[in-house]
Amino acid sequence: MLFSYNWLKDYTKLPKPAKLVELLVMHSFEVEEVLKISGDYLFEVDVLSNRAPDCFSHIGLAREIAAVSSKRFKAPKFNLKEKNKLKIEDFININVSDKNDCLRYSGRVLLNVKVGPSPKWVQKRLKICGLRPINNIVDIVNYVMLETGQPLHAFDFDKISGPKSGPKKIIVRRAEKGEKIISLDDEKYGLNENILVISDLEGPLAIAGIKGGKKAEIDKKTKNIVLEAANFNYQVVRRASRILKLKTDASWRFENRISPNLTESSINRAAYLIKSIAKGDVSWGIIDSYPKKALPVKVKFATDYLERLLGIEVPVRDIKDILSRLEFEVIDERAIGDNNSSIQLTVKVPDFRLDISIPEDLIEEIGRIYGYYKIQPVFPVSSLIPAKKNIDVFWEQMIKDILKESGFSEVYNYSFTGEEAKKFGYNKEEIIRILNPISDEHNYLRPSLIVNLLKNVSLNFRYFNEVKIFELGKIFKKTNSGLIEKKMICSLIASKEDNNDLFYQIKGVLDQFLNKLGISDIYYDEHQPTPDDSKISVWDIKRCAEVKSGSEELGFLGAVSSSILDSMKIKGSVFLFDIDFEKLLNLCSEEHEFRPISQYPAAVRDLSVLIPLKVKVEEVLNNIETAGGALIRDVDIFDIYEGEGIKEGKKSLAFHIVFQAEDRTLKSQEIDQILNRIIKSLQENPQWEVRK
Amino acid sequence: MDIKLLKTEAEKDLTLSKDLKDLDDIFRKYLGKKGSIAEIFNSLAEMSKKDRIKAGKEANELKSFLIDKINQKRLDLAETIKGKEQWIDISLPAKGPKTGHLHPLTLIKRKVSEIFESMGFSYIEGPEIENEFYNFDALNIPKDHPARDAWDTFYLDKGLLLRTHTSPVQVRFMEKNNPPLRIFVPGRVFRHEATDASHEVNFYQIEGLMVGKDVSTANFKAVIKEFFSRFFGKKIEIRLRPSFFPFVEPGFEVDISCVVCKGKGCSVCSKTGWVEIMGAGMVHPNVLKASGINPKFWQGFAFGIGIDRLAMMKYKINDIRLFYSSDLRFLEQF
Repeated sequence: MLFSYNWLKDYTKLPKPAKLVELLVMHSFEVEEVLKISGDYLFEVDVLSNRAPDCFSHIGLAREIAAVSSKRFKAPKFNLKEKNKLKIEDFININVSDKNDCLRYSGRVLLNVKVGPSPKWVQKRLKICGLRPINNIVDIVNYVMLETGQPLHAFDFDKISGPKSGPKKIIVRRAEKGEKIISLDDEKYGLNENILVISDLEGPLAIAGIKGGKKAEIDKKTKNIVLEAANFNYQVVRRASRILKLKTDASWRFENRISPNLTESSINRAAYLIKSIAKGDVSWGIIDSYPKKALPVKVKFATDYLERLLGIEVPVRDIKDILSRLEFEVIDERAIGDNNSSIQLTVKVPDFRLDISIPEDLIEEIGRIYGYYKIQPVFPVSSLIPAKKNIDVFWEQMIKDILKESGFSEVYNYSFTGEEAKKFGYNKEEIIRILNPISDEHNYLRPSLIVNLLKNVSLNFRYFNEVKIFELGKIFKKTNSGLIEKKMICSLIASKEDNNDLFYQIKGVLDQFLNKLGISDIYYDEHQPTPDDSKISVWDIKRCAEVKSGSEELGFLGAVSSSILDSMKIKGSVFLFDIDFEKLLNLCSEEHEFRPISQYPAAVRDLSVLIPLKVKVEEVLNNIETAGGALIRDVDIFDIYEGEGIKEGKKSLAFHIVFQAEDRTLKSQEIDQILNRIIKSLQENPQWEVRK
Repeated sequence: MDIKLLKTEAEKDLTLSKDLKDLDDIFRKYLGKKGSIAEIFNSLAEMSKKDRIKAGKEANELKSFLIDKINQKRLDLAETIKGKEQWIDISLPAKGPKTGHLHPLTLIKRKVSEIFESMGFSYIEGPEIENEFYNFDALNIPKDHPARDAWDTFYLDKGLLLRTHTSPVQVRFMEKNNPPLRIFVPGRVFRHEATDASHEVNFYQIEGLMVGKDVSTANFKAVIKEFFSRFFGKKIEIRLRPSFFPFVEPGFEVDISCVVCKGKGCSVCSKTGWVEIMGAGMVHPNVLKASGINPKFWQGFAFGIGIDRLAMMKYKINDIRLFYSSDLRFLEQF
């Protein structure tokens, strides 16, 4: 909020602007800016929202400054002269339909005022605080709001529709659905039953606590006015302000609450200023609907709790001094605890401090005024309980390290995605929509890491021919049991050339990665498409595999389909693996056992097999290992050949087979026996041909 | 043959030898089966006993002398050959293994975690999709209260939302664990606001929470001062200013002494010597109650630090959006 330095000076002795900034910053509020303006200083102060009830006003901030700087605070003094012939009851009466919507409604009538421009000093102060002067009546109403924090409103008495005789009726009620109002600034608002209005017998005169209506506007010809100072329910004002998308100086103050006790002094202050500036006669008395008077709040707290919470001892004398500077009244003081070691104070909270209701609130008041800088750092004393190791985080870090060391760079993408997710086959039933997205690119929560990673590829292809990146992050999906979020790990190699070798590179990374996590029982399975499998459109079906452990599917490995690449405008190929991090965690193991190195020599035999092109190497390997039995230490494929010299439709595989026993040197006879067994087993398949 | 002459001749041959083949020839000539020394031994039988002893001794000495010389020469030759073939231009660029790069926010998160774990704080995580209870109500931020405006929120169906801070994890953790407790919670949070150089729709926070019988503001000051001093690797001063967050009372804004000018005042700290770094406070009794902990017996502090902001300070990055750009020209610098 904007404050005028000179205005604040009306109520207390102020330190120099620079010193004032320092005091406020260390004890009360941040000061955003100080500007020198025509003989005055403009202070932009970030009043904390819990202090809005008292400090969204010059009086409030001056009172705070007085407390902080140990100076006296002087409230404005004035003497309002009312005309006893003009009984308020003869002019208006108030009808509040729900006392929960309107805690208090105070009204005054002024007759025969002269509307005109307000005096220079009023205009100057309003301008500094960012308000535009209009006429003396409206300006004074605004001035008093900036002074006291109480929003007021002035109606043209003669424009209020009333009964033919007797006082006019002012009704505070909820609007009816379909009712409309034209505001002072000529905007038309449609109202409904969530919105509170001030109405006469015919219709709304103002949106309660937010904005006045055109109908009873003060204009040059206005002679008689009704002044309103009310206290509306903060939630009602807040809701209406949101529905109408209308925030005003008044609505802002009501939303943050103000004391209902403030209406009376403010309306008198406004009446006094109007009478002295715009002349006129002030009615006798106030019309006041205040069914449930706010009672003073009392809070008890003990000095030992203050010490325990702040970690500093504040002398009782200082505590009481601070409380009295803040206008808190100590109404009881007694020694409590063992040996009367603590003093319990019962404190009456001033009515403008709506933020104080528990002991901790008072301790904060004492702490901040006393000065937090006086608290010396002290390490806590605590049992020597070591931090608990977070296993998920441990593996997460390990995974990131492995991928980094394999040459992949980590990216962090947005958790959001746009309509392009639909191209990936995700449908409305499984994708989570943001009700209030910030832009079209952020309509949904990402159902997969792949979408954004492919965007990264197309961005980085501008500068690099090859991109190797990974992300470990959460994806989000709708399921029958509700919304789910889970961590995935996705890693990709993208190249501007299409090369199947990249498949083996990324597979190698995945193998090494699983190996380092202590996971060995992993196998790759050809993907079996199912009709409801939407994700599949991401993959090039002929060049992808499911990554499995037991019957559990951990994720996918393969090439991204060309239709997806085209739609993402990626020229080249992308190979990736996308693994469910949480499923992976169940398999990870830190256990690692040493296997003794055999003291006996290993023997190597080579074998080459001619097989049809589409037979998987894995089948041959399995066949060799099964037939060979326990003495086979390792089978290595060292050559794959197809083309010249090989029959059409066939390929030749060459293996090193390593034989070794733990307990003896194998005899060559023994080895030949096993080798023959393997050859026999391989040749059981009529299309396979073994060449030694 | 005269052994002395033989020795002179052999030495001359050795000096002239240029490669291993020459050496092999010399070996054969003198030490081979039909070499000169073998010849001497063969002729011993024809000598008198006295001469035989003398000549035998001399022949043996020559034999071992030549073996040593030849071996020595062989090593020398090998050295010369190696030297010729293995010259390296040490100024050529390295061909190291090309590793990837961890994201700067990962690096900062690790650094922060290491410090808090060493002070006995445990690493805890929580969900990114939250409900109103944990994100607001339990944190003493009532419905229809303007305090909620401080957190611009992304809403999902059925009253769910994206957490606007890591604070809900305080409540989730305290519901299931009894004090005394010390945790820190790094995590992604979301704000519904326009992006610019210092605002993002998602970013990272670290929540801290310590609850005990008498955990105080003075304790908070010590822990957080230690944290920042270790994080920046130099002595850091901290100061607390009054602030308001509904889930703490008292509430603090925490400033650290400017790491650039050490508190003297520079452009980074707007000449104040201080940089605002985080919000904190003493856990509000209503939050303890909402988490099933009796505030009569327990109290503590809580704080929230922006990880992105720490990374920006540490690496002098001026635009938060770079973290989420996935631009390798940026990422490869870490």
